[in-house]
Amino acid sequence: MKVEFWGQEFQVNMVVGCIGGFLIAIMSSMFGFGGGPFMVPLMTVFLRLPMYLVVGSSLLAIFFSTTVSSLRHYQFGNFDLVFFLAMFPAALIGGYIGPQIAKRVSPLAVKRIACVGLGLLALNLLGVY
Amino acid sequence: MKIRNKILLWIVLGVAILCPWQITQAVAAADPAAVPAAVPTISIDKTTLDNGGVITVTGTAPAGKSVYLEVWASDHSVRSSRFDSDKDKQTGKIPYIFYITKDMPAYYTICVPKDMQLKIDAIKKEGKKWSYASLLRDLGAEAAYSVPAAAKIDRYQASLMASVVGSRGEILPAMDDKENRQRSMQLVKARFQSIDKLVNAAVDVRPDGSFTADIKIRHGLAPGKYTIVAVVDKDSRSMPAVFENTISFPTVYMENAGTSMNLIYPFVLSLVVAIFGVLMGAGGGFIMNPLLLTLFPVLPHTIVAGTVTPTVLFSQGSGIYNYSKIQFISWKLGAGIGCAMLLGAFIGPKLTELITLDQFKFAFGWILLILAGLMFWQTTPGYMEKNKKEQAILKEFKKRAEASAAGK
Repeated sequence: MKVEFWGQEFQVNMVVGCIGGFLIAIMSSMFGFGGGPFMVPLMTVFLRLPMYLVVGSSLLAIFFSTTVSSLRHYQFGNFDLVFFLAMFPAALIGGYIGPQIAKRVSPLAVKRIACVGLGLLALNLLGVY
Repeated sequence: MKIRNKILLWIVLGVAILCPWQITQAVAAADPAAVPAAVPTISIDKTTLDNGGVITVTGTAPAGKSVYLEVWASDHSVRSSRFDSDKDKQTGKIPYIFYITKDMPAYYTICVPKDMQLKIDAIKKEGKKWSYASLLRDLGAEAAYSVPAAAKIDRYQASLMASVVGSRGEILPAMDDKENRQRSMQLVKARFQSIDKLVNAAVDVRPDGSFTADIKIRHGLAPGKYTIVAVVDKDSRSMPAVFENTISFPTVYMENAGTSMNLIYPFVLSLVVAIFGVLMGAGGGFIMNPLLLTLFPVLPHTIVAGTVTPTVLFSQGSGIYNYSKIQFISWKLGAGIGCAMLLGAFIGPKLTELITLDQFKFAFGWILLILAGLMFWQTTPGYMEKNKKEQAILKEFKKRAEASAAGK
């Protein structure tokens, strides 16, 4: 498939993109996360698209899957309104404060902390400690 | 003055007329009563608890018998589901049947005589493969198990095709009482997970048949009425004793999750995670889900996954809106891959139901390890170098886009 973006044309391998997106969507909706950190590498590394094309478009693709996954979870009765109302405003406020803090911290340090933190969480879930 | 006295008298009379049911109830609960031969009696020391506490049960039972206390939340019930994919020992076939009930009490436990602690410890050592049915059998508590046995259980024949279209499968005819009871035990385990929550060696039985037990009611349980029944064997159950568990704001009961929680915890957690999510460039879900599961083991994983997902919808939506304002989205590419993701997202939530909490944790653990690997890769010098260029181009294009949007 050909995609035109800001005067440049890109050749996108939709077969790889769709299969990858499909698998990421199953995984992310099953475990309840967005999937951005997987979607971006899929599009940049496997589809060889430049970052500036990927940022917006991957968000749109993920929005599709999050919407449907929310509806389906609701349908199966996995949604708790009170719990949601406790977290939702906080997520909004966080989304507002976050970018302002982001200007002041080094992305490298954040990534390193995230790396360690995620590793610890993972080992905890796997029951290593 | 006289008039006021008269009014007071009337008020007192009115209250006296309205109240007796409460008083009689309290009396029924507090009265140790005379001792009929075979039926155990039971009384409790208080009738209300404030978000958990200890309730002391005393009573009498025929001498020389083991006494069990069945305790459950009678006001609130929750859902419990289990996917049976264990090979049938006799036929060697895998049934693939999905069992679900909405009638599981939000709290359920059986208190057994104190001298059974050793048996419980022995079963606990066997690890995660324990079976609730054999636990009850070993402790001789089968007669005490009654409330979940009466829960109405629906069962569905799952099939690959049904899973693909995202349905639970074909509904099977209702089970007879005996099988319902058997299956309900598996659902009890699926819901309450740990042996400690389901049995308590708390009943102190004296040789003359009188007994006492301290029942600890945890924080964060469902509010409302709880019922205690003393059981000796199948035909001798005591009258129920009822107490009430109250909770007050900001602790709120979550109907679907079946637990009460201080709302401040998820709020603060969500705030911190959302900020950090922005910093590391990932949605909060990756961190929020495992953290909630680790910090609040009472929450079912289906509820966690299902409730965290929509919280990011808004930030995604506003992100898309901001990008679309400067036409920085390729609708064709986004929607194209989005359609494939749509199908995946249709199937995923169905699969959440089919796996147990342990499987959920295991899979999520590996996903997080992969993600940590990805993050690590993004801190390597080679990637940083490339990323710097990419970001510069990104900025350049964004600037152009903003300028052209402003020019319109």
